[in-house]
Amino acid sequence: MLRTAGLTGLGLAVAACGRGFGGGGSEAASGKIELNMVWWGDAFRAQKTQAALDLFMKANPGITVNTEYQDSGPYKDKLATRFAAGNPPDLMMMRMDSLREYADRKSLLNLNDHTGIVDTTNLSQAAASLTKVGDAVYGIPSGLNAIGYIVNKTIIDQYGVTIPDGATWTWQDLATFAKEITDKSGKKVYGTLVDPATLANLVVYVSQQGEDLFTADGKFGVSEATLTKWFQMFEDMRKEGGFPPAGFVETIGSSPDQSYIAKGSIASQIIPSNGFLGYNKVSGGNLVLLGIPGEATAKRRGTNIGTPALWSIAAASKHPKEALQLLDFLINDVEANKAMGTTRGVPASTVVADAIKPTLEKDDQVATDYLIGLQKQTLVAVPPYPKGASGIQDELTAVAPEVEHGRLTPAEAAKKVIEAATKALSQ
Amino acid sequence: MTTDESYLERVGNSRRKRFTKHLLLCLVSIVMLYPLLWLVSSSLKPSGIVFKDLSLWPAEWDFSNYTEGWTALQFPFDLYLVNSVVIVVLSIIGNLLSCSLAAYAFARLNFRGRKLFFALTLGTMMLPGHVLLVPQYIVFAKLGWLNTYFPLIVPNFLATSAFYIFLMVQFIRSLPKELDEAARIDGAGTFRIFWSVILPLCKPAFATTAIFTFISTWNEFFSPLLYLTEQELYTVPLAVRQFIDSEGQSQWGQMFAMSFVSLAPVIGFFIAGQKYLVKGIATTGLK
Amino acid sequence: MTLTSVKDPAVSEAPVSPPKAAKPPQDRSGYLFILPWFIGMAFTIIPFFASLYLAFTDYNLLNVPNWIGLENFAEMFSDDTWWQSVKVTFIYTFVSVPLSLAAALGVAMLLNRGVRGLPVYRAIFYLPSLLGGSVALVLLWRYIFGLNGIVNAFLGFFGIDKISWTSDPDHALTTLIILHIWTFGSPMVIFLAGLKQIPSMYYEAAAIDGANKWQQFRKITLPLLSPIIFFNLIQSLISSFQTFTQGFIFSGGKGGPANSTMFYNLYLYKQGFEQFHMGYASAMAWMLLIIIAAFTGLNFLLAKRWVHYDN
Repeated sequence: MLRTAGLTGLGLAVAACGRGFGGGGSEAASGKIELNMVWWGDAFRAQKTQAALDLFMKANPGITVNTEYQDSGPYKDKLATRFAAGNPPDLMMMRMDSLREYADRKSLLNLNDHTGIVDTTNLSQAAASLTKVGDAVYGIPSGLNAIGYIVNKTIIDQYGVTIPDGATWTWQDLATFAKEITDKSGKKVYGTLVDPATLANLVVYVSQQGEDLFTADGKFGVSEATLTKWFQMFEDMRKEGGFPPAGFVETIGSSPDQSYIAKGSIASQIIPSNGFLGYNKVSGGNLVLLGIPGEATAKRRGTNIGTPALWSIAAASKHPKEALQLLDFLINDVEANKAMGTTRGVPASTVVADAIKPTLEKDDQVATDYLIGLQKQTLVAVPPYPKGASGIQDELTAVAPEVEHGRLTPAEAAKKVIEAATKALSQ
Repeated sequence: MTTDESYLERVGNSRRKRFTKHLLLCLVSIVMLYPLLWLVSSSLKPSGIVFKDLSLWPAEWDFSNYTEGWTALQFPFDLYLVNSVVIVVLSIIGNLLSCSLAAYAFARLNFRGRKLFFALTLGTMMLPGHVLLVPQYIVFAKLGWLNTYFPLIVPNFLATSAFYIFLMVQFIRSLPKELDEAARIDGAGTFRIFWSVILPLCKPAFATTAIFTFISTWNEFFSPLLYLTEQELYTVPLAVRQFIDSEGQSQWGQMFAMSFVSLAPVIGFFIAGQKYLVKGIATTGLK
Repeated sequence: MTLTSVKDPAVSEAPVSPPKAAKPPQDRSGYLFILPWFIGMAFTIIPFFASLYLAFTDYNLLNVPNWIGLENFAEMFSDDTWWQSVKVTFIYTFVSVPLSLAAALGVAMLLNRGVRGLPVYRAIFYLPSLLGGSVALVLLWRYIFGLNGIVNAFLGFFGIDKISWTSDPDHALTTLIILHIWTFGSPMVIFLAGLKQIPSMYYEAAAIDGANKWQQFRKITLPLLSPIIFFNLIQSLISSFQTFTQGFIFSGGKGGPANSTMFYNLYLYKQGFEQFHMGYASAMAWMLLIIIAAFTGLNFLLAKRWVHYDN
């Protein structure tokens, strides 16, 4: 049995014709320049990206682009290993929260040292300021997004609750609205669910209170009082009923189809705007996109334009010129962006965004309009997170369930987060 | 009369006993079978309702996840299956050869440094793999082995799996010493003893090693991810992961379908291999 | 080979017979047999000692490491999360290892002796171990241990209130321990293989002598199976001290809720690859090696009392 299995295996190995056992065509042999480009995503995104790259290779016959992709979890581990081993990709999708980990250690190409190839004139002010570290720029947003608030209109109508005005509502309005849904549905549906442990949610609230998540000199800028209020707000909603009880939210899984809004047990929640299409598809197609509460009445705006990811180039790239060409193509070429759609968010170039909008699905158009609208407003920009910021996210994730289960008071949790943040940023 | 009664009673007793035993085993079986049933049932549901329809019996049978999933990626799924099979088969052969040689030496031969070397082997099991990734990657890159199967296969031919060495050492040490001695008196050399006395008696250990190697290599995700760059070389776990991403519109149904397809060879191999698990001294007998 | 060498092949180190004192008898064949192992060691040992060096540096994956002496090790003792990860890992190991080994041995014995349909049961019991780190499994766990999942539905029969198995910090680790015991298939397979190595004539002889099942277990099974029990014990200890995938999948890599499933290796990974503190991660790795080596060494010492080799 084992012997025959072995023989079959050898046969297959031979049939595979040396595939995987060395001997691929090398760069020198083909005379072409090979660029290695990596990103995260699924097979669907891969098809769309490959279509854009095919256009690039047609226009630049001297360049071959080899791509690798995988889902976001292991992506970052492989990227770090490749950088550490001195074998980084040329062009890569970079997480916003690891940008400075790489940039501060001189691993990424400063685009300001290589002007002239990448055209950045059409980037909105918000998009351009996102990737600035001091005087240097280490990438260009691969797509823009912001957090938005979705409400399932089918459920709201069913229980006869009116949707507040998304431009002017306050956090108090949210609490009242949520409680009404819970009450009228007899706790079959809870009014709202906002994750207090997500930095992208916290940063909006913090900015509304007039504080910066990170100060200009790289310190944690949130006061204990604000953090306490943030945790307290959700605990109050939980007590009143608008928020689901402790233990309701389970930690496994985070995609739209696994969300509680898709299951119909939650009526409204915060999402990243580029996820609107996905959420609407799984929640019955009757979602309404609102602004974040508190924007009209707060000290200043909290909503900010962000990006899930950047395109960055490795400082050690052997072909920086060609990598820059490719970057320019991805940012500014209308046809390429039509092919890619908004899987990575709304294109950073306003010209491209306007041009591709009519080709998008209706739900993506809604999200794109939301983003284009936001870019015309005066918002408070959030600079790239400093090194060590992931330690703050970790601590938030750790204390939030303790508050939920009543083992820490909001004030105690706030204190712990601040302590951890100070330590994480000082390292 | 009395003997009859006690006889009947005994039969009844043992029947009742057997019945309880099977009842117990069946109950445990349900708990154990559950994940597989769930996987199969989920793979037959349309993507949209996987998380809504929680019943084990799909309301409607939908095989499109299989047909569409098979061709949804850059290459048809059979390519990934063949790639995985090549790696797995070579890894099994490598582990069986190299680990049994080393294990025999550690268990039976008396050479200088034996204890130290064995301790070193065990020591390599104790260090978390994450801190070895970067240096290993550098070593394999220096050898020019990136984007080949060598980093995934060659180490198995060089007895780098302490687990299997240790397993075989324990098996060989549990074999009666008289066997070696008898063979030696018959004039057999060390290799002959290893080959014709020890190996045949180690079939259960070999079957265990083969099965475990199959499973761990087949399921291995991060090493292939790290070392393979071309889609054409990808293995099954890498392929399955491409159906989902936390940001995308994950194809759950297709992912479940292909997960089941990728499980089938492992289950098949275990069922085929398990009869060798029981071919020890008990069946071979002492010669 | 001479006849004299046959007499004491079992004596491991100290040369006993005077004529052989200068040269242990089996150097040449021994080294030949472990030749592949020697070459393989090169692959293993370079990264091994590279990580030892890095443990004394501030290596951040991207820049040249600087020597900082014992700083990383000192840091661990003042790191609350490190202590938490030690606690989680110890609880997990010392609860789940004995329970899963006991389950594995019990079921193996049940299956070993002429149960009809044995191969079917064996395959079924092994299934959860086959599923391994499959991504599909995550969703299954959610379904089983969810608030409205099967486990709660089952407990509901007995009037027990719903428990949030995955999101309550008090229960998350328990859930993982249950899941670990559920995969007792691997040690079970090894036990089964070991049980088959025991010559059945021993049991026949014992039965003739009037020994009952329990006596047979104590006097025959336990001693003769002891090398295999020992193997499974050491192996389970080492692998459960190094638990990673289970914890990673369960909490989405976060170690939550509230760090209640922050396994040692998960924390090490987060330090190394998320925060780029690879020097610190390397130091943690070597600290774990010391901890595991201590427990393994202790077991090897104790093994002299209960593990029976045929010498």
